[in-house]
Amino acid sequence: MWLHLKLAIRNIFRNKRRTFIAGSAIGIGLAALIFSDALIIGMGNNMIASATESFMGEGQIHREGFRTSFDVEKTIVNRKQIISKLKEESVVKHFTERVESFAMITSPANLSSVMMVGVSPDTETHLSQIDEAITEGSYFSEGGKRQIIIGSKLAEILEVSLGDRVVLTTAQAHTGDLAQEMFRISGIYHFNIKEMDRGMAFIRLSKAQEMLGIDGNIHEIALRFNNSSIGRNQDHPFWQEYSGDVNDAASWSKLMPELNLMLEVSQFATYILGIILFGVVALGIINTLFMSLHERLFEFGVMRAVGTSAFQMGRLVFFEAGALAFISIIIGCIAGLIVTYIVMQTGIDYTGIEVSGVTFRHLLYPVLKVDQFIIYPSAVLILTLITGLYPSIYAAKMSPAEAMRRSL
Amino acid sequence: MENKNNDLIVTHSLVKTYQDNGIPVKAVRGIDLTIQKGEFTAIVGPSGSGKTTFLNIISGLDVPTDGEVWLAGKKISEMSGSELSDFRRDHIGFIFQAYNLIPVLTVEENIEYIMLLQGVDKEERHRRVQKILTEVGLDGYADRLPTKLSGGQQQRVAVARAIVSQPSLILADEPTANLDSQTGVELLDMMRELNKKSGITYVFSTHDRMIMERARRLITLKDGRIDSDETRE
Repeated sequence: MWLHLKLAIRNIFRNKRRTFIAGSAIGIGLAALIFSDALIIGMGNNMIASATESFMGEGQIHREGFRTSFDVEKTIVNRKQIISKLKEESVVKHFTERVESFAMITSPANLSSVMMVGVSPDTETHLSQIDEAITEGSYFSEGGKRQIIIGSKLAEILEVSLGDRVVLTTAQAHTGDLAQEMFRISGIYHFNIKEMDRGMAFIRLSKAQEMLGIDGNIHEIALRFNNSSIGRNQDHPFWQEYSGDVNDAASWSKLMPELNLMLEVSQFATYILGIILFGVVALGIINTLFMSLHERLFEFGVMRAVGTSAFQMGRLVFFEAGALAFISIIIGCIAGLIVTYIVMQTGIDYTGIEVSGVTFRHLLYPVLKVDQFIIYPSAVLILTLITGLYPSIYAAKMSPAEAMRRSL
Repeated sequence: MENKNNDLIVTHSLVKTYQDNGIPVKAVRGIDLTIQKGEFTAIVGPSGSGKTTFLNIISGLDVPTDGEVWLAGKKISEMSGSELSDFRRDHIGFIFQAYNLIPVLTVEENIEYIMLLQGVDKEERHRRVQKILTEVGLDGYADRLPTKLSGGQQQRVAVARAIVSQPSLILADEPTANLDSQTGVELLDMMRELNKKSGITYVFSTHDRMIMERARRLITLKDGRIDSDETRE
């Protein structure tokens, strides 16, 4: 076996240029796979971050049915017990309470429907990035109960600027009576997310509770975890713990199924790309091995004549396929690492582009993982060896006389 | 039909028909022949007379359409592919017109290739290689690659590889065709000497007058049949 392994390695370097070209072709396919996978992971992380860090959080707790009806009477049951329990949860990094209701916002110039969101400014900063997105004015300051923060697009529609007055009108819980309050614009934010920039208005939690007549109750608890995988996995016990007949605890993957689907589709697209690339690689391997084989027909004939068995002959070609795979893997891993590393430093600017309801807010950086340098190279090796079986069997079946006759 | 003690090759009613684009071509048309141990025989004839086909069949490189081939007491015409492979490895040495050697192996590695297939141990291989290199006049060439040798030297290595495993038969297909006359003469004289010394049977397929002159038996083929069979003293 060692004799033919040594022979295979030497044979593969006989035509260095061809080996390098074939190895590079296969290697580029592998590098493309590594890069695509790194990019898909980076894109997934970016989209999740864009979706969860802006406002949503990695998960939320609501009263059952609130998310579909936005009925203001559907406040979270056993709020106090849940809050106390969440404070004790080791997996929970931060949480914040919110009140949400549809409302009408009116300025002297115009009016618009908005989602009125009551927030606790101190804890909200850990969950959303409203404070960081403020482009004019400031985040909630001490004592200003009538402060309102709106998005840049909404300010444009209402033709208002910092310090101007607006009126919020909403229907109270239970009675349905209209509640109206005047606010002064203390901050204008710009997320570059259409729905947030034109459709949301943030006021203090206590003021929102007062307007809606829901006392100290809330509609939503937004969560952030120490381990981001909990937000991705709706089957994690945490979600069962806080869900039940009355409340519903949902991870972002449940809250934004379209994002989850998009990530799954992206992963699937990587597999499809992999299959296509591997198909091309397979044809490249067959072509290279057959070219090499046909160039050496007489030599193969001589080897068979002097006593090399059919099995040994096939094994030699099989080893050559393995040696080619090994060279290709080295080229592919190095190329994949270099290209991905360069893009990791520069990033790809997709900011402002919306995909599946999520707007990219950060530069897109590919993510390198050890798996990419194990799984894909292993796949290339296995595929090369499987593909190498065809020329190997061909070489094994070749009669020595026929091989020598055909080479003349 | 079985061979006698001194018979190395026995063929009986040997026939080989090829299909060439669907048309049957009879390359060998019923050859009955016996070659004895230690002979230095040349098979001659014009192109298309069936020399190479006959050589391929008696060496187990090709199978006959009909008839029998006995070699060293074994009926090789009925052996399976793997049996033939083992038989060739252990009983037959080959020398071809050119490209005999594996270009990525050194002279020593080429010579010991068959012994490696036979499972001969390293020490014995090395001893035999050194001995044979001296016999073929290539002392000091063990580590060279075939590409660094002249045509004559490459053929000497091919001879060394053919005889090092001590086969019963050496089959040489136009071994001097690519050599100049002086080198050809030297190679043939060396082979003749080895034949005398070791008693290994040599069968040539050739057009070369130098080989015909040195052969002790000259078999002429014409249209796939034996046209003449002449033995010289």
